[in-house]
Amino acid sequence: MLFNSYAFIFGFLPVVLAGFYLLGRAGREPALAWLTAASLLFYAWWRPVNVLLIAPSILINYGLARAMERTGQDKPGQTKAVLIAGIIFNLCFLGYFKYLNFLGGAINDAFGTGFVLTQLILPLGISFITFQKIAFLVDIQAGRVSRFTLRDYGLFVLFFPQLIAGPIVHYREMMPQFRAAPCRFNATDAAVGLTLFSIGLAKKLILADPLSRLVAPLYGQAGSGVPQSLTEAWIAALGFTLQIYFDFSGYTDMALGLARCFGIKLPMNFNSPLKATSIIDFWLRWHISLTRFLTAYIYNPMTLALTRRRMARGKAVFGGRNTTLSAFIVMLAMPTILTMLISGVWHGAGYTFILWGLLHGLLLCINHAWRLIRPRFWAGTASYNRWMAPAGFLLTFLSVVVAMVLFRAPTVSAALLLWKGMIGSYGAALPHAVLARLGAAGEWLTAVGFHAAWTSGSFSLEAILRIGVLLVIALVLPNTLEILAPYEPALGVKPAKNPAWLTRRMSWTPSAAWALGLACVALAGILSLGELSEFLYWQF
Amino acid sequence: MAAPARFIRIWLASLAVLAVAVAGVNLLVDPYDVFGTPRIPGISLLKPAAKNHVMLAKTYQVARAHPVTVLIGSSSTHIGIDAADPVWPAAMRPVYNYGIPGTYASDSLKILREALAAGSVRYAFVALDFQNFLVPEHPSAAISEADRRFHTSADGGANPYRPHQIGSDIFLSLATMGAFADSISTILQQSGTFTLNLAPNGSSNEAEFFHAARTDGMHDLFSQKEAAESERVRFFGGAGVQSAETRPNLDIVGQIIALAAAHDVKLTLFLVPHHAGVLDLYWRSGLWAPIEQLKTELANLVASQGRDVVLWDFLEYSSFTAEPVPPAADRRTATQWFWEPNHFKKQLGRIMIERMLGEDAPAFGAVLTPGSVAGRNREVRAQRQAAMCAGAGGIRTSDLVSTDGCEAAAPGAVPPGAL
Repeated sequence: MLFNSYAFIFGFLPVVLAGFYLLGRAGREPALAWLTAASLLFYAWWRPVNVLLIAPSILINYGLARAMERTGQDKPGQTKAVLIAGIIFNLCFLGYFKYLNFLGGAINDAFGTGFVLTQLILPLGISFITFQKIAFLVDIQAGRVSRFTLRDYGLFVLFFPQLIAGPIVHYREMMPQFRAAPCRFNATDAAVGLTLFSIGLAKKLILADPLSRLVAPLYGQAGSGVPQSLTEAWIAALGFTLQIYFDFSGYTDMALGLARCFGIKLPMNFNSPLKATSIIDFWLRWHISLTRFLTAYIYNPMTLALTRRRMARGKAVFGGRNTTLSAFIVMLAMPTILTMLISGVWHGAGYTFILWGLLHGLLLCINHAWRLIRPRFWAGTASYNRWMAPAGFLLTFLSVVVAMVLFRAPTVSAALLLWKGMIGSYGAALPHAVLARLGAAGEWLTAVGFHAAWTSGSFSLEAILRIGVLLVIALVLPNTLEILAPYEPALGVKPAKNPAWLTRRMSWTPSAAWALGLACVALAGILSLGELSEFLYWQF
Repeated sequence: MAAPARFIRIWLASLAVLAVAVAGVNLLVDPYDVFGTPRIPGISLLKPAAKNHVMLAKTYQVARAHPVTVLIGSSSTHIGIDAADPVWPAAMRPVYNYGIPGTYASDSLKILREALAAGSVRYAFVALDFQNFLVPEHPSAAISEADRRFHTSADGGANPYRPHQIGSDIFLSLATMGAFADSISTILQQSGTFTLNLAPNGSSNEAEFFHAARTDGMHDLFSQKEAAESERVRFFGGAGVQSAETRPNLDIVGQIIALAAAHDVKLTLFLVPHHAGVLDLYWRSGLWAPIEQLKTELANLVASQGRDVVLWDFLEYSSFTAEPVPPAADRRTATQWFWEPNHFKKQLGRIMIERMLGEDAPAFGAVLTPGSVAGRNREVRAQRQAAMCAGAGGIRTSDLVSTDGCEAAAPGAVPPGAL
């Protein structure tokens, strides 16, 4: 079931909320049991067989966790062995459903073998669920989780607001909340939850989805080997960057809002990533819960192990300005690139995702290297920030947009075709109807190399207008978390000490004006759930 | 605590009130003419938004229109033939234009079946686009949204999907953002000079063409379509045009004839006219011979199956189709008979109606029979030759046709690619 569906908004959600509040009067246990059962139903809705796949996995993980709890600190070797077994089991589970076909195809491509590729149905949210289960086992081994029941564990994994698309949560940040949840209607939580859900729904349906209609044909054409002109290639790259941002952050806002209606705060996942002034800054703002997971469970352990090894061998370790090239490569670049490679593979089974991860890894390394060497020739932080913050923003934005082409392109060659289009290799064209109406500007554009093409003027105009508006929203306006900061919309979010003027002006309060405005926003989203759609050629 | 509770009450109440208001506006304006709400001048007299939902709108319109005569075809019929034209005799009215842009012969069969479900149809005019017969059509086996809406299934029985689709259409026409945006847009466009309209009789006005001709000029209109048609010709060339006997598309025409006969409907089939610039593209690409063969096969099919069926051919070189296109610099001169190579104007549509009704009208087109088709093919070749020799430069906007066709063409010359 999707949040943006009639069945969810008008059926599932009201019933589950009403049941939760009613059962909450009888106590926390029945309310949480109801929530767990409802989450299972939510998971089973699209394809009931999903439950048959995920339930044994949950039980096996629970059994492994119990075993680790029993062996505990007394037998660290056994505990570690169970942890490794658990990680292997979860990775195999994920790998079978998500990567088997890709690996088989890659081996066939490389060695000319004839592995038969079968179409496997990917269980919903498997990537998110797998990471959460691994994190849980690691936390037990590290002693960060002490007591848990099957119901607790089931609710932690299945809690429906974060089940399909995150945020990726930790047991230690969720369980204390469930254990303390009043399970009663709380007007403030409900008002904040409704606000988050309304904004998220509108972001997904009003801002992101229409871009898909504009962008998909361009990637489809590139996939078929059709070169794209400068204008179209940039529409494809910028359009998809904005589409995925508003889509994913909108879905996250809905998840935060839904959880809040049950009195639960989820961790933040997006914090205006397109405003980032460096690629490091970008990853601290984009899919934050994934970055947190990768850092805590992959990057840090790897770096720690490498540090210990180098220290044992008497080699130089990471040390600020005095870092040696070999230390940088071994202790920062390698773990960074490997972590981002894993990030790419986690996002999808395909060469494009692998390259996307590697590209971001490379960009992060360049950013880290710059941070190390910059003070040697530009010591003044204030002057540096004054000049380099705008430049950094521009560079980061361009890097993210260019890399996003890999994320969306159906093949690597399609991405290359689009990149070549973005640098003007296939010329710069504007629709004849647009160029003819631009007057002097049109003449100037023609003089600098633009030519007229018999492509749809309304398509290009709509794309350019939508991209322009969404850029303003993404780069100028405060984000949802900033607007709601006084009400802690996500775990740990607090109001800024000196919020910007616009953030102060747009700060949410439970006022009649906000209620009316958000009702309009929510209605626009709800009315967009089932748009009439007909093949566009049926115009003429 | 009071403020958040009040916030929730206002949010819920506003949502409910606004939802009802949106549905009310959509019902009142009825942008797709689904409900048949009376058209209000200044609010909903014109229906520009139906443009993107022609199939949806017309399926509901035709049920209300109870037509005696129905016009079926693609966009050229939708735009070029006026169901309200005074030349239609009283006995054949009401006339309903069920032309749907982008449709093929298989769609025409379904649309005729749906029109017959209205129960009043006695005359049917079905347009045939020659391009749709150059490669075999493989109708999708999947049930489309339009299929779900029709009264009957392909086997002639009641369509089990219809009740659900009707419910969905009503809900989506009342309660979607797109419908609301189209309602607002409909109201705002009522006073526009070039506002598109889908009339209750299914005919569309030519506002968009008027607008494009005024702002971009006729030359641009022709250029754009010629470029698209050139791509199509390349596709046909690559696809390898097949022999008429093997084309399943003709079987579909046979089914149209049989369906009309079964309902005692007088059927007129007609090959849609195209501007000579486009005809020339096909001629030069070696595709004229298959077009002639198509005419022959259609004539034979009609003769063998049709008791009360007439086949008209408007594919020809004549003063109507070979009028010159104004040069690029000229944005004022308008062509008389065509908006662009594939869409004729309503003036020409009127002449076609008059010809097909046997009224007194300028010579244009001819009835095809097995006995006349060979002569007709020779006649059109001669027309082309005459047009070339007369210096038909200007019938195309690029690669302008000169008199080269004249030099090589002795009387009765066969076209390139002739079998």
